[in-house]
Amino acid sequence: MPDVNLIIDGQAVSVPAGTNLVDAARTVEVAIPVFCYHPKLKPVGMCRMCLVEVYTARIDPATRQVVMGPDGLPQLALMMNKLQPACVTPVSEGMVVKTTTEKVKFAQRGVLEFLLTSHPLDCPVCDKGGECPLQNLTMQWGPEVSRFDYSDKVHFEKPIKLSDVIYLDRERCILCSRCVRFQDDIAGDEVLGFDNRGRSWEIISKSEPGFDSKFSGNTTDICPVGALTNADFRFRSRVWEVRSTPSICTHCSVGCNLSLDARHNSLMRVMPRENDDVNEIWLCDKGRMGMRFVESATRVTTPLVRQHGKLVAASWDEALTRIASNLSQIAAKGNGQVAGMMSDSASNEDLYAFRKLITDTFQSTSLDHRPGAVTDVAIDEAIITAGVGMGTSLLSLGKGTAVVVLAADVEEEAPLYVLRLRGIKNRGGVVHVVNSFATKLGTSASSDTRIKAGSEAAYANAFLKLVLEAQVASGFDRRVRNLDDVRNQLSKLLLDTLLEHAGVSRAQLQKVVDAYMAASNAIIVYGRTALQIGASVTQTMANAAMATGKCGKANNGLIALTTGANTFGAVSLGVRPGKDGAAANEFWARAEAGTLRGLLVVGLNPAANNPAAVEGLQTIAKHGFLAVQTMFMNETAELADVVLPQMAIAETDGTITNAERRVQRFRIAMAAPAAMHPTWQVCAQIAERATVATPASKNATAVLSNWNYAVTSDVTDEVAQNNPRYAGVTYTSLDLSINSWGRQANESVYYDGTSYTNTEGNGVQLKTVADDAGAALTVVYSPPVEFEPKGEFGLLMQTPVRAYNGGTWSIDSKLGSRQVAAHVLISSADASRWNISAGDAITVASPIGSSTLPAQIDKNIAAGHVLMPDVAGAPVHLALGAYTRVAIRRAE
Amino acid sequence: MSLRQTHGAEIDAILALYPHKRSAILAVLYIAQDAYGQLSDAAIREVAEILDATVTDVFEVVGFYTLLYDDKVGKVVLQVCDDVPCAFCGAEELVGTLESKLGIKSEETTADGLFTLQRVKCLAACNRAPVLQANLDYHGELSTPEKVDELLSQLRTRIANNDNISISGRKATL
Ligand code: SF4
Ligand code: SF4
Ligand code: FES
Ligand code: FES
Repeated sequence: MPDVNLIIDGQAVSVPAGTNLVDAARTVEVAIPVFCYHPKLKPVGMCRMCLVEVYTARIDPATRQVVMGPDGLPQLALMMNKLQPACVTPVSEGMVVKTTTEKVKFAQRGVLEFLLTSHPLDCPVCDKGGECPLQNLTMQWGPEVSRFDYSDKVHFEKPIKLSDVIYLDRERCILCSRCVRFQDDIAGDEVLGFDNRGRSWEIISKSEPGFDSKFSGNTTDICPVGALTNADFRFRSRVWEVRSTPSICTHCSVGCNLSLDARHNSLMRVMPRENDDVNEIWLCDKGRMGMRFVESATRVTTPLVRQHGKLVAASWDEALTRIASNLSQIAAKGNGQVAGMMSDSASNEDLYAFRKLITDTFQSTSLDHRPGAVTDVAIDEAIITAGVGMGTSLLSLGKGTAVVVLAADVEEEAPLYVLRLRGIKNRGGVVHVVNSFATKLGTSASSDTRIKAGSEAAYANAFLKLVLEAQVASGFDRRVRNLDDVRNQLSKLLLDTLLEHAGVSRAQLQKVVDAYMAASNAIIVYGRTALQIGASVTQTMANAAMATGKCGKANNGLIALTTGANTFGAVSLGVRPGKDGAAANEFWARAEAGTLRGLLVVGLNPAANNPAAVEGLQTIAKHGFLAVQTMFMNETAELADVVLPQMAIAETDGTITNAERRVQRFRIAMAAPAAMHPTWQVCAQIAERATVATPASKNATAVLSNWNYAVTSDVTDEVAQNNPRYAGVTYTSLDLSINSWGRQANESVYYDGTSYTNTEGNGVQLKTVADDAGAALTVVYSPPVEFEPKGEFGLLMQTPVRAYNGGTWSIDSKLGSRQVAAHVLISSADASRWNISAGDAITVASPIGSSTLPAQIDKNIAAGHVLMPDVAGAPVHLALGAYTRVAIRRAE
Repeated sequence: MSLRQTHGAEIDAILALYPHKRSAILAVLYIAQDAYGQLSDAAIREVAEILDATVTDVFEVVGFYTLLYDDKVGKVVLQVCDDVPCAFCGAEELVGTLESKLGIKSEETTADGLFTLQRVKCLAACNRAPVLQANLDYHGELSTPEKVDELLSQLRTRIANNDNISISGRKATL
């Protein structure tokens, strides 16, 4: 469609048809004041702040023809003979708009005077003061005095709790409905509404618990007044006193951009920072309110070494020397007896240095980023080849896009993706969810297929079969290798058998396949269950993407909701088992066998909920050496010979790689509570003290020169040099910003809320294998893994992710009350079969043990299916993988 | 007993009228209001459950409409128009008569739980002023205490016989 031309305040404007006048005016830096309009929400015209004069061609009522003036041009007339709300008035050809006339100013003064009739004017104690649209607009457009009687103001009880984290001050509310519309349209949690009318109109939430949404904090950003405030920031500081530091959230794989706002050296608040390619302008509540652990008094602040059986404070030098000499001695025995494990939420720099320390200095390939449980996910190779292509931007997707979400609970695993995927659907795309249990995203998806527990691989193979059939007509991607083998193997699987196994009809599956095939942009998202099952789901779905050429280009390919904030970094920078090396969940057996004697653990707590790991760690500590770097004392650190304090993300800098392989920078927001070093530096210091013989030069000490880093970016540069996938990723390239949606200086506050403008860079997306035009794409057949209940263990148990899992992030968080307590979810059918009521203690037995915990009953679960959410305190060690055969009974 | 148990067939018949369950929100609220004599928190949640609607949405509807009562009302709600034309024709006297006969003030309910008295604005029946509606049935020209007596005794008989009593006005004839 051609652009529409109009004149706004004397300037020629050309914008796409359908643009409203507020947005059109912004393209020529004319700021029309708004309250209820928000660029991410549908306009509703509720507040009348945006009234302007709009002139359109005069129509003769008799002839219905445009009246021509003497100059031969159409005569203009004030539209409907009155002011028009700019936010709900679309542009039209030849329109003339005036935003600064006396008439407009009169209206603006009137609207503000009216809004203030019942406003408490308690700015001096209002958290919004200083970044409040009502303050700003009143200063700029409002009347100096009010004609209304002060004593006539409506009064309400001062803030009421909508939830434990969100407070509502009804006197301040201007009833713009931004919060309600955000919850309904963007978050999809319809938990806010209006009660009563007239002067008693007020916002209510009647969900149980109140304001039950994982995205509630965003309403405090877009609320144009101080009516909604969050418990995390209330009365902490004035907003102009804080120093803002750009950072990244590391609580999940989304990698939301945020700002850490500190006063002196103390964290005041966490705010979203815009990045259209990641979080737009939003944050989930976990990201916003899960950063208090940084300042917890229980942080480990000094190195500890074991003396006479007890951990006592020591100097860094002593602790590092102990680690270096002990691990050196063990390494010197050969056969890779040292191992390392490090969290996949650590920075690329830390992961890289750690890998280097273990493989180069200590000569071992036993390295992992997983916590060493039987339920550890498989390493996902498919994503390196067929991840979404370079230049992918979910925000640009709508009509013509199909997203298939398989074996993932998006809201629990990577909350922000719910908003982004819902956005694709709201813009006209389709989102098909396929999962073994009900998920929040499913309720607002285009379709929500419930497959039988344990049938994910069967579904994936059936999907691939139909996709390959459909592709025959148009021919396969010419870069694909090994296709015949895959087709041959697949032909041995009967579609009907697969469908029956999955409990899905052919039509149900066909609908998803058709949408996938027809889409010009096709994305497959999979999550924890898929990653736990491994290649038979992940590789199989990748095969579909490769064979159809739906990868290796922007907006097509796979997205894995990985376990950590930087799993891609951990895998591609080598923090994974190498040749002859053990995976983390094999460490414990090696420890018992005496072939693993030294272990360095960074940022993980393998001993939590894992008796096998506890035994292994004890053996290592007893006969060898265990060193742990951690922020908090935990089950693993208790067993260690040396404990080192670890820095929190707010205290250090570096880069991390998110689920879409976008590398992003985070910076130092505050000083650590005590003298500490980032992990890359700790690795360098250990390496410098180590005395391991390298195979090349026996008896020589480790080479010092290649640990020559002064600042973090030195490591970043080396990562880029040594890892082709990271080529070109430097602090400088990461800092290049795309100014995404045309905010103008200082107006963001009232235009779209208090999220921060991104001036620090949108990050760099790494290439996949398929992004190289010449790369061969090898499809690999992976037979469906089957999970069948058997004998006395007649049910299948899954251990799904919960966002509010009681992890480190929850320490001192205001979200405390939302943490999920350990429990088991069973179906109504099984509940009545075993005579179990909600809240009853039940015993869950798997082939390796049993445990008792409270039951909850979920009518959406199929009979025979059991869910034990993976939260702090849950006996997830009973699980043997993605699915585990279990028996349940009422506990005596 | 839940509404499903007491009014299941009626509710199903209403739900069948609409392509979306939530379109039946007012009709089902009327049933709930008649069954419980008010729309309590629990009643509203029950309706939300029946309609598969978000709880907050149902509360919004109840909050918006003045004929959906969240506080307990009597078996018959008397709503007297006190707008200008009715006021000229004796609305205040009518209110006064009712208050003294019922022994309550407006916006109150009689101790026996039979009547609630309310003042409302124009009922669009000015030609019959002074006018009130009793459970949404119009009664006009109530210009003398005798007429009021007659109306009240009529209503008492109906209440005693449980003859078409519905505070939601589902039995109203006009
Ligand atoms: S609470 Fe804030 S966002 Fe919600 S309606 Fe009131 S002023 Fe608007
Ligand atoms: S979605 Fe993930 S990355 Fe974003 S704020 Fe929430 S936890 Fe952090
Ligand atoms: S009416 Fe246009 S911004 Fe509110
Ligand atoms: S004024 Fe009473 S009915 Fe109109």
